[in-house]
Amino acid sequence: MLEGMLALSALGVYFHALFVSITLGFPLVIMALLYKYDKTGDEDYFRSAKIATSVLAVNFALGAITGTLVEFGLVQAWPGTIIAIATFAFVPLALELVAFALEIAFLVLFIVTLGKIKPIKSFLILAVYWIFAVFSGVLITAVNSWLIAPWGTGIVAKALYPFMPEFGPLSTDVEKLLALKILALATGIPIQAIIQIPEVSAKLGIVLFDPYVAFLSPYALASILHNLFAAFLVGTSIALLAYAIRYHQSKEERHLKTIRVVAPIVLVLFLVQPTIFGHLMGASVVEFNPSKFAMMENALMSYKNPLIAFVAYGDPSKEIVGFDQLKSSCDLHGNAKLGDLANSVGLSKEKVLLIAKEVGVTVDAKKVSAVYDANLRDVCLSDLEKAISKIQVVHVSYYTKIFFGVIGFLASISLFVSLKFKRFSNLFNRFLGDKTLLILSIAIFLGSAIPSALGWFVREVGRKPWTVYGLLYPEELVTIVGYALTPQFLAFMALVILAIALSGIYAMLIVAKREIRFLELLRGEKNE
Amino acid sequence: MSDLPFFLLGFSVLLHVIFVSITMGTGWITAYSRMMAYLKGDAYLERFARKAFRILVVFELFSGVWGTIITVVLAGFFPGLTALATNVLFTPLLIALIAIMVRIPSIGIFWYTWGKVHPRTHSLVGMIMAISGFLIPFGFRAVFSEITSPTAVAEFIAHGFASPFTAYASVMFWLLYLHTIFASLSVGGFVVAFLTSLEKDERGLKIGYRYGVTFLIAQIPIGILYWLSHASFSSYIFQSITFGNFLPVFVAKITVVALLVALSIVAYVKRGSPTLLALLSLSAVFFGELMNGGARYPYIVVLGNEGLHFSAFTNLYIEVPMIAVFVILAFLLISVLVFLTALFYALFRRYLADIPGH
Repeated sequence: MLEGMLALSALGVYFHALFVSITLGFPLVIMALLYKYDKTGDEDYFRSAKIATSVLAVNFALGAITGTLVEFGLVQAWPGTIIAIATFAFVPLALELVAFALEIAFLVLFIVTLGKIKPIKSFLILAVYWIFAVFSGVLITAVNSWLIAPWGTGIVAKALYPFMPEFGPLSTDVEKLLALKILALATGIPIQAIIQIPEVSAKLGIVLFDPYVAFLSPYALASILHNLFAAFLVGTSIALLAYAIRYHQSKEERHLKTIRVVAPIVLVLFLVQPTIFGHLMGASVVEFNPSKFAMMENALMSYKNPLIAFVAYGDPSKEIVGFDQLKSSCDLHGNAKLGDLANSVGLSKEKVLLIAKEVGVTVDAKKVSAVYDANLRDVCLSDLEKAISKIQVVHVSYYTKIFFGVIGFLASISLFVSLKFKRFSNLFNRFLGDKTLLILSIAIFLGSAIPSALGWFVREVGRKPWTVYGLLYPEELVTIVGYALTPQFLAFMALVILAIALSGIYAMLIVAKREIRFLELLRGEKNE
Repeated sequence: MSDLPFFLLGFSVLLHVIFVSITMGTGWITAYSRMMAYLKGDAYLERFARKAFRILVVFELFSGVWGTIITVVLAGFFPGLTALATNVLFTPLLIALIAIMVRIPSIGIFWYTWGKVHPRTHSLVGMIMAISGFLIPFGFRAVFSEITSPTAVAEFIAHGFASPFTAYASVMFWLLYLHTIFASLSVGGFVVAFLTSLEKDERGLKIGYRYGVTFLIAQIPIGILYWLSHASFSSYIFQSITFGNFLPVFVAKITVVALLVALSIVAYVKRGSPTLLALLSLSAVFFGELMNGGARYPYIVVLGNEGLHFSAFTNLYIEVPMIAVFVILAFLLISVLVFLTALFYALFRRYLADIPGH
């Protein structure tokens, strides 16, 4: 049922990601249209900006709902993460509140005043909204990145898995964290059962010394840039596709004008996303997630590929590190036991039992001994086998993502030149006829949306079998509420999420398509 | 870090409850008026429903933001309590979550389909919107009643588990829930009356007052029962309110309610100040919630005459960076100011005009 809960969480996250992409991408389109309107006075730009605003408003509501869902999903379905929220994620999430509150306040102000004040003022209000939306994305991605590269835990993961890198300086109290982990393993119950006990926090005391450490991660920086630009790209390409469909259906010049405004934005995003930020992200995966990189490259065994090696390591002669090398690194443990590791940081069995007693956890001494006797090499190999079980799906997803990314990249260049240069326009028309704009826009949309969806899939599945890479498994973080892990409950929640999200998408389509003016509707001027 | 987490949580709860009392009340007033407009063929009621609906639209998302803020404050500052609540109160929290997921789209659908679908269907959507609004506190108020008089938590401590609906066996829950619903309908009525008074809409004013007065009076016995039940189920809070530090707040609340009853009856029969009445009704919510949340201090979970000190659940896993907390607080206050600006333009400058077709 754990897999079911993971799938349910993924469903919520995916819908949220879709709405967030529109939240981040549409303002770029609306701002560009308002700028053109301010410069030219052409009402068509304003009209297009209003339609995009309608969709943005409906979308924002859906983003807020799915955001609530994801947030509750995190603390209800995976309450073990509360310990991360209270430590590594504390500052990012607290700041995110500011971003979210200001985001919504400025969006309401923008919608209420659009058309009533000068376009440039509306532009500025929306720009402030967008800055807070981006800030929100930065903070949430920083938190997610910590799960993938737990910065501030230093050598801990490497001590368990020798193939792993060090995750920055050691800002944590290893003894206490290890005690929590051993207690979870020995009792066989998730961390929630421990942290819910009153006074646990006071008795354990400080476990993280630097609350800002999540911001210091180089992995987070690469992720933030990559994820945000992916979201801008998906959002703007959805807008582009929508206007291309309208133009194809109506042949109205105003839609073409809008496409001419949006296409250069999409082109710029497509030029920088895969080349700069995608590369930066890839390099970070190579450095911080060796098992994920081996999965992406289907490297069950190490092999030579000059092109991949050059892109990944900057050295074409290097070998792609496969699971064979990762497994052989597990041999470095020799016959060492988990207990040896615990003892090396001063955590004896007796001390674990003492901590258990102090915080009020009932644990069998024999089970603690069994955990101490666990062979580190076996744990390391067993976890690599779990990762290998997902190698095909990650590999295929990654290369499908690349394939669609290339299509989108080429289509965005083609669209731009066909709009800019008559000669190219004629050339495309010869092959694609009057559907040129539509087909290129579809290709751009697929070239942004599919890589984003698959990219997220690779990001999440690629770090398995851990939820916090190298440190914590999903079963340690999942809820202890039994009925939440039944098929009936999971199916019910899946239905609720699907119903809400699909009806929301349908609502956005209607708002965009029928062009009943959202703002007039809000003002009560139509729709009697 | 001292008492800051407690006050931060209290501040967020206060703001959230004030906002949502407006949205829940106006949600019902909108939906019911819309339905009656259809059933009675009364065109005015439909226009009135639109007016009430505007208030809901403007307030809804921002009030929701403060719900999110509460969740993050809880998980960040009170991780132990959050872990316990997501275990023992899994079902009530789930009910609230599903209700939120139904409520927001239903507002969108209700808005967009106005005049586009059969009035019967539209009225049904409106009712779903209003009822889902009432279901949100049906979930969340269980958390409040549990920390005031634990039922599910008590079962959990005694048996190691709590059945999904135990929280609803609490008398305190039902009294608090009814009190919340009546308060929201009363506040919604007074706020609608205030808005309609700006437009010299006499009938709208009367309808608003009728809601305000009726549910204010209905609230009084529930409020008294709720207060008295504390003597049996949560004596620490009872003592604190009746004889202790929160006596001035209790007196303030009684005074506000008494004033509100007198002035609103006069206003309904003759004439009054809708602005004052709306402010008084919101003040009543403020003082009520201040007692509800604050009178438990320094406990977070009250157990009869004593309780679990809030520090038993506070976050001591890190040294909370106070500068960051104060910066965040300052920006949250700025967000309230920006929102109030939007509100001013929407309702007072009438950028969101009211009567369709005008």
